[in-house]
Amino acid sequence: MRISDLKISISGIRGIIGESLTPQLILKFSEAFSTYIGGGKIAVASDTRPSAEMVKNAVFAGILSCGVSPIDLGILPIPSLQIYTKEKKLDGAISITASHNPVEWNALKLIRKGGHFLYPLEAEELLDVYYQGRFRRVEKPEKIEIENEPFATHEQKVFHFVDRDLIKTKNIKVVVDPCGGAASSYVQKFLEGLGAEVVCVNCGLKEGFPRNPEPVAENLGDLCKAVRKHEADIGFAQDADADRLAAVDENGVPIGEEYTLALAVDFYLKRKKRSPVVVNLSTSRVLEDVARMSEVSIFMSKVGEINVARKMAEVGAKIGGEGNGGIMVSDIHTCRDSFSGMALLLEYIAWSGKKLSEIRAELPDYFMMKHKVKASYKDWRKILSRLTRKYSGGKIQDLDGLRVDYPDFWFHIRPSNTEPVVRVQVEAKNRKLAKEEFKKIMEVI
Amino acid sequence: MKDRLRISVSGIRGEVPGALNVEVASKFSSAFSSYLEEGKVALCRDSRCSSHMLEMAVCSSIIASGLDCADFGMLPTPFLQFLMRKESFAGGISITGGHNPLSWNAIILLDTGGDYLDVSEGSEVFNIYEAGDFRKAQWRDLGKTHTLKFPLELYLEKLSKIIDIESIRKGNYKVVADPCNGSASTFLKDFAEFFRINLIPINDNPEKPFPHPPEPSMENASQVEAVVKSTGADLGFLLNSDSSRLSFVNEKAEALSEEMTFPLFLLSLKGKVKKAITTTVTTSWADWAAENIGITISRTRVGQSSVVHTMESEGAEAGGEGSGSVSLLSFSAGYDSLLALAVILEYMSREEKVLSELTQPFPPLHMKKIKIEVPPERTYRVMDRLEEIYCRENPDCTDGIRIERKGVWFNIRPSLTEFVLRITIEGEKEKEVESIEDELMARIGQ
Repeated sequence: MRISDLKISISGIRGIIGESLTPQLILKFSEAFSTYIGGGKIAVASDTRPSAEMVKNAVFAGILSCGVSPIDLGILPIPSLQIYTKEKKLDGAISITASHNPVEWNALKLIRKGGHFLYPLEAEELLDVYYQGRFRRVEKPEKIEIENEPFATHEQKVFHFVDRDLIKTKNIKVVVDPCGGAASSYVQKFLEGLGAEVVCVNCGLKEGFPRNPEPVAENLGDLCKAVRKHEADIGFAQDADADRLAAVDENGVPIGEEYTLALAVDFYLKRKKRSPVVVNLSTSRVLEDVARMSEVSIFMSKVGEINVARKMAEVGAKIGGEGNGGIMVSDIHTCRDSFSGMALLLEYIAWSGKKLSEIRAELPDYFMMKHKVKASYKDWRKILSRLTRKYSGGKIQDLDGLRVDYPDFWFHIRPSNTEPVVRVQVEAKNRKLAKEEFKKIMEVI
Repeated sequence: MKDRLRISVSGIRGEVPGALNVEVASKFSSAFSSYLEEGKVALCRDSRCSSHMLEMAVCSSIIASGLDCADFGMLPTPFLQFLMRKESFAGGISITGGHNPLSWNAIILLDTGGDYLDVSEGSEVFNIYEAGDFRKAQWRDLGKTHTLKFPLELYLEKLSKIIDIESIRKGNYKVVADPCNGSASTFLKDFAEFFRINLIPINDNPEKPFPHPPEPSMENASQVEAVVKSTGADLGFLLNSDSSRLSFVNEKAEALSEEMTFPLFLLSLKGKVKKAITTTVTTSWADWAAENIGITISRTRVGQSSVVHTMESEGAEAGGEGSGSVSLLSFSAGYDSLLALAVILEYMSREEKVLSELTQPFPPLHMKKIKIEVPPERTYRVMDRLEEIYCRENPDCTDGIRIERKGVWFNIRPSLTEFVLRITIEGEKEKEVESIEDELMARIGQ
């Protein structure tokens, strides 16, 4: 079976430059989105990929073609674009970023009014417009507006939210690694504005990414080294579009994205507001511990930022996120935002007077394994029924794939939206148990 | 006809967005870039409200094919063509509807030296377009965009090598300019300063829509006539939207036919050129002017592509058309209205005459240009019938049918840029012109 590297789905359009993602397709998709939005203003921002210029020209042409006014925000983190869209009351936004995908990829992500990703049903409507190919083209296009301070809106919101005076008094030294991504031009000034002393690695914009943009432990070598070298209190790694965050402790040891989220939530509940917590089904059990310690309830949603955001609104949660380092603070905006995460962790260190490794040690230990298995949709149906039979004794949640909880371990398996694979995740109290259970699951698959 | 695209070496042309839109612009640019394979593409646009949008689609496609894009923004096409002679570009694209109404636009493809593509080059590009098999560069090899400013000083320097600018400067001319809010608008001030012309510009805001159809002609000249009259200017002129065509208003505030521009240009070049090319529908004043300065002139198909390519193949230095376009090969490969203006101003100052004195010796001729809307699928039948009717009169079939009778000639041809048949009739007596019009209308109406 041939699998195209072009991915047109409710998450947007994604493909490889020079293979599937052509200017014609980008144009068509932008025209479809602008037709769907039906007028008003759309903000456009990109990450730092070398293909951004080609993509952006086509995106602007497509927006203009359908009578919508585009605002050019240049290179900007995706949460900043979402917050700008919300605060300026725009009709939508297009983010040009393939987030953690390798550099040869690019993608368009679509943001609705209010600064959230298009709801799945809306995205389906949009795809219908796209495939029909009948666009609302106008005779007289609007003009492009240029925003010179696109990050200011986001920055000011975070500055008002945290206790910058408290952070300033503690002389915290930070190393940050934005992966040469969209945050590169802003993150140093931002952290200094919070009151920290800042060292930046991988801040220069170069061809391609200086490291794999996913902020998982094995990609953070540069950052860990720099934290030790500069004797910093904390290290932060962002992904290329700056929605995800992973922290490194003062010894240069990554605490993992799951624990980065856990600490941010822990501090929010202790110091900011008491509120229910929402995380997705793939998130570590340590979040349940954190919620229990603060005596608040925790809810689980389907995977995907928009699903977490909608569940947060539904249950009135002020804080939440996704275990892969996506921290969502409603005081800023219910989107995954590494900047809010950094602010919370810095204030946590300042407020507690403790080292990051000490704060981390206060939380129970879990070991998580993540794996991808190639599988078509048909394969997935078979895998699902076999697993459901075998693990019928556990606590089953089938909202999004299959999650089964046992007292000392849980697993979550679901088909990817973006690739013909199923994602398998197992977490247990320790490495040995996790490995054993993982092996058993893989045998069933 | 709103959704019909005209595709030829005169441009990929149509109304926006029904016929010409970002999708079409993008595909043609991808096809053109695939044809060129490598190098840098020079890009410019006129002031139409759809031009910037189309430019972005074009630019995206150029760099996606791995070619660099030298983007000059809003710029007269002849300026781009001038620069393409001097610097090395793989090819060029100008986004301009030229003389077409505001709702139209076009993608004009230029070869490495700034010429319009010839028919065989054009068909290579259109074949790639049809096959849809475009060149795609990997992310590492994508082209880059360079935003550039046109070096007007180079253009003026070259002008001063072919004409005597001092004599123009001494003339102290007061000139009314109507660039039709087109792409020449922002350059006229520097141009006038260089020649020490006292410039009175009207309609020179490219942000605004066209004040009248962007075709230099007597019908569109009433504003210039009024301003020449009220300011006592020495002359006035009108340009089309990309500054490739020009017509004059004389010191008596009388608009001159755009057909006079090319003959005036030839008269100005006395002693500098030996051969000229024009088209089968250009006024007989062109022959009169050629004879006057002792050069030969021959006629080819209508359009910048065929005129300039014929000039090159036949070694003719000058060329032009009755639409108010002129070209001088030693200067550039394009139709250039400001070149025409400078050359004719120099002629005025050299002769120490005003415009009406220069046109006074022109023999009396009456021309009538008629457009008849005919959809492309009917063109063949209509033309075929006319050919049958006129075959006894020894027709010239260079471009449509041209019949010469005593004291009068006429030409019928399908337009390259619109869905019309164009009829041109010229004769010494107005009555004869009218009787031929009646004859043709009756026959086409059959």
